[in-house]
Amino acid sequence: MNFTHLRVASGYSFKYGTAHIADLVKRAAEFGSQSLALTDRDSLAGVIRFAKECEAYGIAPIIGVNLSLEQKKYRATLLAQPGGLSSLYRLFTALNFQEPDGVINSKFLAKNSMHLEKLLLLHGPESQLVAAIKANRNSEAYSIFSAYKDFFGNQAIECVTHQRAGDGAFSTALAGKSLAFARDKRIPAVISNAVRMLDRKDGPIADVLDATRNLTPLSARTVERSNSEAFLKNSEEMKILADEVARLAGERDGKRLIGTTLEWGELAALSPRADIGLGGIHLPEPEVVGASNQSEAKIQLRDRCLREMDFYRGEKSGEKLARQRLEEELSVVNRLGYETYFLTVADVVDMAKRMDIRVAARGSGAGSLICYLLGISSVEPLSNNLIMERFCSVTRGELPDIDIDVESARRLEIYDAVFKKYGERCATVAMVETYRARHAIRDVGAAMGIAPMEIDLIAKSLPHISSRNISRALENLPELKHLNVNSKILKIAIDIAAKLDRLPRHLSMHPCAIALSDIGLYDRAPLVSNRSGYPMLQFDKDDVEDIGLLKLDVLGVRMQSAIAYAIKEVERVEQKKLEIEKIPLDDKLTFDLIKSTRTLGVFQIESPGQRELIGKFAPNSFTDLIIDISLFRPGPVKSDMISPFLAVRHGLSPIPRIHKDLDEILRETEGVVVFHEQVIQIIAKLTGITLSEADEKRRELGDLAGQQRVCDWFFPAALENNYELEVVNKVWEILRAFASFGFCKAHAAAFALPTYQSAWLKSHHTAAFFAGVLTHDPGMYPKRVIIDDARQWGIEIAPLDVNKSEANYRVELTESKTRAPFKAENLKSTGSELVLPDARGYAIRVGLSALNGINEGEIKSIVENRPYIDLADFIYRSGAERPTVEGLVKVGAFDALHHLDSNNLNRRDLILHLQDIYKLSSERGLAGQLSLELEAPKLRPSGLPKLSTSEVVKNEIDLLGMDLSKHLIEFYGEFLNSIGAIRSCDLIKERSGSSVLVAGVKVALQTPPVRSGKRVMFLTLDDGFGCNDITFFEDVQKSCAALLKNSWLFLVKGEIRRTGPRGISIRAEAAWELSESCERWRNLK
Amino acid sequence: MIAPNGAPIEFIHNGRRFHIHAVLSHWRKSGGWWSRINESELIGENVLDAINDNPTTIWRVEAAPIGALTTFEIELDEISKCWQIRPTSRSA
Repeated sequence: MNFTHLRVASGYSFKYGTAHIADLVKRAAEFGSQSLALTDRDSLAGVIRFAKECEAYGIAPIIGVNLSLEQKKYRATLLAQPGGLSSLYRLFTALNFQEPDGVINSKFLAKNSMHLEKLLLLHGPESQLVAAIKANRNSEAYSIFSAYKDFFGNQAIECVTHQRAGDGAFSTALAGKSLAFARDKRIPAVISNAVRMLDRKDGPIADVLDATRNLTPLSARTVERSNSEAFLKNSEEMKILADEVARLAGERDGKRLIGTTLEWGELAALSPRADIGLGGIHLPEPEVVGASNQSEAKIQLRDRCLREMDFYRGEKSGEKLARQRLEEELSVVNRLGYETYFLTVADVVDMAKRMDIRVAARGSGAGSLICYLLGISSVEPLSNNLIMERFCSVTRGELPDIDIDVESARRLEIYDAVFKKYGERCATVAMVETYRARHAIRDVGAAMGIAPMEIDLIAKSLPHISSRNISRALENLPELKHLNVNSKILKIAIDIAAKLDRLPRHLSMHPCAIALSDIGLYDRAPLVSNRSGYPMLQFDKDDVEDIGLLKLDVLGVRMQSAIAYAIKEVERVEQKKLEIEKIPLDDKLTFDLIKSTRTLGVFQIESPGQRELIGKFAPNSFTDLIIDISLFRPGPVKSDMISPFLAVRHGLSPIPRIHKDLDEILRETEGVVVFHEQVIQIIAKLTGITLSEADEKRRELGDLAGQQRVCDWFFPAALENNYELEVVNKVWEILRAFASFGFCKAHAAAFALPTYQSAWLKSHHTAAFFAGVLTHDPGMYPKRVIIDDARQWGIEIAPLDVNKSEANYRVELTESKTRAPFKAENLKSTGSELVLPDARGYAIRVGLSALNGINEGEIKSIVENRPYIDLADFIYRSGAERPTVEGLVKVGAFDALHHLDSNNLNRRDLILHLQDIYKLSSERGLAGQLSLELEAPKLRPSGLPKLSTSEVVKNEIDLLGMDLSKHLIEFYGEFLNSIGAIRSCDLIKERSGSSVLVAGVKVALQTPPVRSGKRVMFLTLDDGFGCNDITFFEDVQKSCAALLKNSWLFLVKGEIRRTGPRGISIRAEAAWELSESCERWRNLK
Repeated sequence: MIAPNGAPIEFIHNGRRFHIHAVLSHWRKSGGWWSRINESELIGENVLDAINDNPTTIWRVEAAPIGALTTFEIELDEISKCWQIRPTSRSA
């Protein structure tokens, strides 16, 4: 029999083990081992991966953990016997929750004795027991052994020799002495190699990890090893060691020592499925969701769905179809036994809704009618032609994946509710952070004592690439030219960093995943406490799927918060209850707004690229929105799927027709394949297989080998179905090309809904919409751009006011006259006439939180102590710190209170007044403790001039990050008018191809990947009348790239390109810094 | 002379041939590569593999020419295959 390693640390012994699990198992398999242990230091995070690898190689996994016993410095190893893994998990979890220092002591053992069943304890060279043997205190050693007898079924002495010098831990001498002790006291003895490396040559990696763990540079004192023997040795090498050790204990050879080791290996060998739980399914019990057993859960699910069928009543054929679809879906769910899966997710969604938190399912789950009826998804699947098979099918037999989007601001409230109800049935999920280039080079640099500046320079210049590619990345970075990357020490550092690649370095909490299971969750996974306060599994999301837990991603989406906020504002200001889930999906005003491309702030379609696309596309229906979202992704953009689609859409080319049988499937997308669902339907149609089987084929198309397999099957299958070879050929070409680009329609539809809802809000409740967007900041644009957009619809922006502003942006009704709202130019070339919102009569009051540096405590106390009679009163009672008060004065929050407009006071006088008040109080020795009894100094005009407009705007930019009272571009109005620059809103009147001058403030500068591989820069400028989207191709970049990156006010000359009804882009020919150009113009005058 | 397992059997020290009677202990050491980086003359692809380790194996032995039994440490540098022999004690 080949040797069994009972003690192996992998990379999941964070910052200790140097070997990847897959490599260890592969090597053990090459050695012909029948089993292999994984006994990471203070970690069980690698268990599931390990079990999977072992299963693949047909090796029995042995699971254990190396922990501190009695004192931090002493370590021992626990192994689980069959049936004992739950104990190991429970013990480990208890240790993490009960003992902050992670040390097992006898008190802890006594308290957790129920979790010790079927565990084996190994006393290795670092244990207290062997330390006593080393010190020749054999009776003490034996009493340690006896003390643990009460707790552990079986213990052994673990002899390890790394052939170190002397007689300390890991020397042959101590191994021999321990064996002699074991023989003397009739204690079982085993031999291991306390593995932490795959090969001898991995020593330096171990050293760097030691240094990193201890936060010290490399030195003989930092590193644990004195040679490189702690690697996975083969049977022959282990036999030699066993012989040497045994001889020191007076035996002829190591046969007995190895024999016991193999016996213990058999004792602890587990089954990847029966013991570790691969391939199991563990959903919450029916009782948790209010059913007494599985069959009642089935009835409950059906009843709940049927109750919600109202939507389909009335439409006769619709109802019949829906009933039929529901029955099909229910039977799939029933065959899989997933009733409680759906009921649990519905339960979580219900909890959120009861708390009045917006929820929406994303992903393929929107394809299921059950999800729709249970309220998990809000997209109606039948009318949108969504199919269940993409989400869940009997063929696939794995748990489906539902992600839910919730209001970002209230995400943790849902966590709290779920944890309250599901308790030990739920936990957060881990995320394994592995070494990438940046971290690797930082850690290696620190260990090797390389100057922090140099390392910093390299680390910062590395994008997030894998550490294997560091040296290549460095060669291509011009900013590192003066660093001697070829110096010996850097070269070695880079070499070692490359070896750290992909090694786990840290376990952190997954940002949004929750695992739900039955009450046995703690028996099936180890948990740790976590800074978040929620218990966290040591398993990541793949592990969780492998052992069949229900994984639910609860994603915080700021747009959902913004929508919720807008709805509340509508209710508050207009006393109108808004049921946004019930708005019709064919509202003309909403689509007019979308088609106008004035979509700043709208979910998903606000980016420059998307605005360009909707300008060309002119979406007319909810399905169009789904298509738009599906098209606007790197794949379709890169492969130019969009042009042929738009050409057909605008009648420029005929609908491509492959075969009449495909017409129905491709009708909604003008004959072009856009969705996964279409691929599934095409495959099913041509070959006659079921949709769920077709989905399996679609998944296989993902890689080259799979494509070949599908190809080999597809041709005969389709030909046999009497399709002509030419047709089959054509379809295959499409399927193959499509494999990487298609999009799940259900997912796009789930996204299209908040897109539509936010566009609807923008057109019908414009001010409330902007208040929501400004408060929750869901998009890509800075607030000043959003504010400016709001102004264009006739909304007044009301300044901060200490007596009126709340924490957040609020809608107010106003009588004041604003400028006329933006109107879409309706020309012959722009297609249908658009009607855009008019939001005059509304104002948005800037919230206190907009002020830089203000904190929540200040905001709360300012609002609570209102109203204030003057600045002095505010200083005395509001609880705001001086910098906050000064900031508020500077941005005009006291203007109204002191009637600055109507008397001859100004903000300068207020600032002087403020200084007087603080001075007075500090003179009386009451600094920071202002007393009400103090009489405030008088506020009088100082005779200083008013702040100039540019000073006001500068203060606003500095303190609020936005220009409220005047758009920055207005300062250049005269110049721009004189040179004939064109406002963004007037561009549509220009002919395609004409040359124009535009100006504006930089909103965004992007360099996305494009098909040709050449770098294209997209610049978006806001000029107070909307946005200019400008493209810089390579020929212009040379002269402009640095300018574009470093400045933020621009004048650009370019050529207009118009595509589709309202698609406008400008191809840049030259760009200048606006203020410089203006300066030169003034000098010329 | 070296045994099949790589352990020394006989050696010449100060011009006299010694025969090893017993190996008292033997150990291996390597590491400390970081302090040798600047001395090493290693350029090329596998810098790391070259500096990586400097494994040596040491045998503490009892050996004698004729008569006087002496303890030696014999060190083998496994890269250069260089042997070093040091007497560590002299027994009567």
